Amino acid sequence: MRAELRRLLLAVWCVSLIGAPAVAEVSPRHDYVLHCSGCHRADGTGAPDDIPSLIGIDRFLRSPEGRAYLIRAPGVAQAPVSDERLAALMNWVVVEFGADAPSPGYTAVEVGVWRARPLRDPTELRARLLASDAPSDEPR
Amino acid sequence: MILLDRWFEGMTRGLARRSGRRSFLARLGLGLVGGAAVPLLPVARAAQDPARAGAAPENIDGPAGDPQDCEYWRYCAIDGLLCSCCGGSHTSCPPGTEMAPVTWVGTCRNPADGKDYIISYNDCCGKTFCGRCFCNRNEGERPAYHWYRNNDINWCYGTKSQIYHCSVAVVLGVAVEGQPEK
Repeated sequence: MRAELRRLLLAVWCVSLIGAPAVAEVSPRHDYVLHCSGCHRADGTGAPDDIPSLIGIDRFLRSPEGRAYLIRAPGVAQAPVSDERLAALMNWVVVEFGADAPSPGYTAVEVGVWRARPLRDPTELRARLLASDAPSDEPR
Repeated sequence: MILLDRWFEGMTRGLARRSGRRSFLARLGLGLVGGAAVPLLPVARAAQDPARAGAAPENIDGPAGDPQDCEYWRYCAIDGLLCSCCGGSHTSCPPGTEMAPVTWVGTCRNPADGKDYIISYNDCCGKTFCGRCFCNRNEGERPAYHWYRNNDINWCYGTKSQIYHCSVAVVLGVAVEGQPEK
């Protein structure tokens, strides 16, 4: 009886493993390194005049337009990851290079809405958002 | 199918004869909960995080293990001159050049362990074209409009000089999955 029970339990255990996610969980840090760090660099500082710095990125969350900008920015909107992974990635980026986490955090639904609306002039919008922010501590 | 059906029937009937329902349910519950918890355990997860990943194995025979050969495993998407032939190495720039901090990042599979690794192709800038060991593999490379996976553009961003000399291939960590363009 014990051998049969063991076999049955083993079968149940195997089935439960099949039910688990088939793909290994991908961390936001992994996606940042693979899809973002080439330009924005591992420390988020970017390159003057070429690549925007991500340091202090949380300041964009002070307005609804800024919150949408962070997803509509070309490199973000076009990142080759799902809405779910992009939401997790951006929630991580804001904390890693800013101070405060998004509140509420980005969700896949919100990210899906914003990334489907490309910006005609991201540089102009970024400048306008920063100009309306406190001038004393603007990111580079 | 009939044989399978009979085998299952026999096994479950035999089990029903010889065991109590309570003990069976207790063990079944244990199996379900235990099985569901296994993927949540932190086993080997750390190795998947690029920030904590160890070095890639380099014990590879032949060209795939030679940093001065275009077939070296890390060069799967390279389009340029190998710094390892120009007075530097596959991870360091030759003297008199500066490594660009802005780079092309993709993944290459390491034949030693079959894993994908995140590779950064940093350009070394500040001296004229090295001219040795030109390689053009382009696996996973995309056209110029897909700029961050394009290697035809000059990646000497963030450096004092924009003059291209050669390229290195630095391992940034283990990739949980290959880059999606492959």
